[in-house]
Amino acid sequence: MTHRNSKNRLRGLLVAGAMAMAAGPAYAELCGNVGGDLVLGMEAKLGTLDQHVNAANATRNVAMNIFETLMTRDENMAPILDLADSLDVSDDKLTYTFKLRSGVKFHNGKPLTSADVAASFDRYSRIGVDRSALGSVDHWETPDGATFKIVLKEPQASFLESISASTVPIVVVPTEQASAEATRLEPIGTGPFQLEEFVADSHVKLKRYEDYKPNETLESMSGFAGRKQACVDTVTFRTLAEPGARLAALETGEVDIVEDVPTLSKERIAGNKDIVQTQLKHAALWLTYPNLSEPPTDNLKVRQAIQAALNLDEIMDAMSDGSYSLNPSFQFPGQLYYSEAGSQYYNQNDPEKAKALLKEAGYDGEPVRLLTTRDIPRLYTAAVVMSEQMKAAGLNAELVVLDWPTALGMSVNETKGWNFFYTGWITVTAQGGAQSLRNLADPSNVHKPKDNKSDPQFMERFNVLSTSPDLDERKAAFAKAQERVFEEVMAIPFGVTPKNQATRANVKGYVPFFNTRVSNIWLAE
Amino acid sequence: MLAYTLRRIAQAVPILLLVSLISFGIMQLVPGDPAAVLAGPNATPDELVHLRQTLGLDKSLLTQIMIFYGNLFQGDLGYSIILGEPVLKVVIERSPISISLAIYSLILTIVFGLFIGVVAAMKHNRWIDQVAMAFALIGVSVPNFWLGLVMIVLFSVHLGWLPTGGYVPFFEDPIGWFLAATMPALSLALMQIGLLARLTRSTMLEVLGQDYIRTARAKGASEPRVIIKHAMSNVLIPVVTVLGMILSVLLSGSVIVETIFAVPGIGALLGNAILGRDYPMIQGGLIFVAAVLLILNIAVDVLYAWLDPRVRVQ
Repeated sequence: MTHRNSKNRLRGLLVAGAMAMAAGPAYAELCGNVGGDLVLGMEAKLGTLDQHVNAANATRNVAMNIFETLMTRDENMAPILDLADSLDVSDDKLTYTFKLRSGVKFHNGKPLTSADVAASFDRYSRIGVDRSALGSVDHWETPDGATFKIVLKEPQASFLESISASTVPIVVVPTEQASAEATRLEPIGTGPFQLEEFVADSHVKLKRYEDYKPNETLESMSGFAGRKQACVDTVTFRTLAEPGARLAALETGEVDIVEDVPTLSKERIAGNKDIVQTQLKHAALWLTYPNLSEPPTDNLKVRQAIQAALNLDEIMDAMSDGSYSLNPSFQFPGQLYYSEAGSQYYNQNDPEKAKALLKEAGYDGEPVRLLTTRDIPRLYTAAVVMSEQMKAAGLNAELVVLDWPTALGMSVNETKGWNFFYTGWITVTAQGGAQSLRNLADPSNVHKPKDNKSDPQFMERFNVLSTSPDLDERKAAFAKAQERVFEEVMAIPFGVTPKNQATRANVKGYVPFFNTRVSNIWLAE
Repeated sequence: MLAYTLRRIAQAVPILLLVSLISFGIMQLVPGDPAAVLAGPNATPDELVHLRQTLGLDKSLLTQIMIFYGNLFQGDLGYSIILGEPVLKVVIERSPISISLAIYSLILTIVFGLFIGVVAAMKHNRWIDQVAMAFALIGVSVPNFWLGLVMIVLFSVHLGWLPTGGYVPFFEDPIGWFLAATMPALSLALMQIGLLARLTRSTMLEVLGQDYIRTARAKGASEPRVIIKHAMSNVLIPVVTVLGMILSVLLSGSVIVETIFAVPGIGALLGNAILGRDYPMIQGGLIFVAAVLLILNIAVDVLYAWLDPRVRVQ
């Protein structure tokens, strides 16, 4: 049931914005050369290519070259159409009508129709990890084979941000895959590459999809959208988990691109003329969550004391080997919602103030348990340095070191036995204001407020951020919500690290992004 | 001999069942949540609950045990939570990789371990003995991950002789397999070479002091004949026992080496399954490894009985 009175033509806005941001050569020049096997050395092991049920970077790195989505994110992580050609939003903001691009085919040769999009949304709403993105949807319908209509229960200003989010994207799969159980999805998409071979813990090989229909609304690729072209015949994603071995493979020419270059190795390969280093400046935000349900961090004054004691330069320097930038925000600099509201509480490095606050809090030496893991060395290092700074301020800091699944499970399922949990946000921060602060809003797995209810003032601001139709109002709400997070010490952001990558000199067209894109890259003769 | 072999096989069945039960119990006791690992730290409580239901992790322990053993007795080890594939299929695909690597390492161990041990014993207390034992000590002491990285820098980056890692199936490209497997096999074998060389040396020294060796020499037998025909048959008895254990270690203890050299073997598979709390894969992988080790032990026991008639009589 639609109540469309008039149309808001978003297509022009979305496309124009993306075209302005899209960088790269014209379509005819997208591939300076055609052919060859592009080999990438990946740091993380890939389990499944079922993009609906996996939030791992390793999965996106491969899967987002196979699958496409109705809407995705552009180079600046703003929502953009991809499999849809146009979008009309009704005046009452309840009905979103997508017209699909024509001529798009799945890797099994079947043409894309709105039934496939509906089936994909059905599966995602059934088992998708981030299915709360569809929480405001009343129903979807397919008036014809090229039209997909979503009807909301109530207006949601951030709806397009939600369905275009790229953490666990709503990739479009053929109708017959809608009933596939979790992790058992056959990787048949509409992207420029199709799966040839997948050997877990070893490699994934993709080959060019000859019948690929590029999105010609843009001159080149922007984010995961735009004009994509498979310049190479095949792409091999090799799992090379050990950093030294990964870099050695680049030096010998066995791989063409490495996903991550250890900071300490950057200087060593700097003189190698066969290797070109690249960087995504703001790739990950590192932070710690206090447990507000467990003494002594249930006491605001104790949390404020810990916040005051921290020297974040020291923490970031140790965890990143000097490759970092301080960031008093839950957004990356340059992002739409970036704000430094509350920055007076950031990186105070004031042990004396901490001691005074502890005295005020009546702190009597109760242990403050820092829950961390050696599986992710940066998280372990952050906890070690933070514990020493806390001890210097008179706190009884104790490390609780567990393997990642246990630590994660404990932080999610338990409110006892830990006071701080460490993590890093990659795509979460990049998705925008509401998505990054959603982790601190009700309901949340990681934020552990008293009585399982987040701070009312924060929630009030977060609700405006999530629902207001006015962008300026949403931005102001984000700034106020962030300030509240600092005031209440609901989370402590440490800083931002870049993603250091490197390619062989003959690799052309590679642009670092939050996830690896292998379209529009070619191997020079 | 046949009765002895059948008896040993019959004893293996309850052991295998016990291993499966223990592995199931341990995994249920270990904290951690496969749904949380899949969904990441940012999933909402509702999303996590739903994913647990989807993966069948919300079922009671008793139900899970019944499903597990019901499937096991039909030869079905279940589905991997992370890979989304049948556990048995994955294990069958991966096992030749680990087995071929282990056999290559074992061959290196036997050749170099026995040679160094015998030469050291023959040149007892001379400089060759000192050098050989220093090498053995280094082999025992050097961590295999460090050795692996050093070899990559030397043989791949500087000399360009060997690939940095990966795996090539033997029957597709034997030379490619040999080149790719050499560094991982050497990394795995070095410690075992050291152990075997030390054991061979001490056993050989003991045997060479026996009356029957002195008799053989007095009868004019050449030194190679004394060593190979008379001494080695007795040296081999403890060595064979140790070789069974070495092969077990090579098969099950290669997680780090497989990770460094990106070899998709059983070790890497189990390591990832444990980190992802992929219960069916851990259980299936452990049952497989236990079965292989049992078969190896039976083979070693049978070989031991064949070498030493006293064992058959007992």
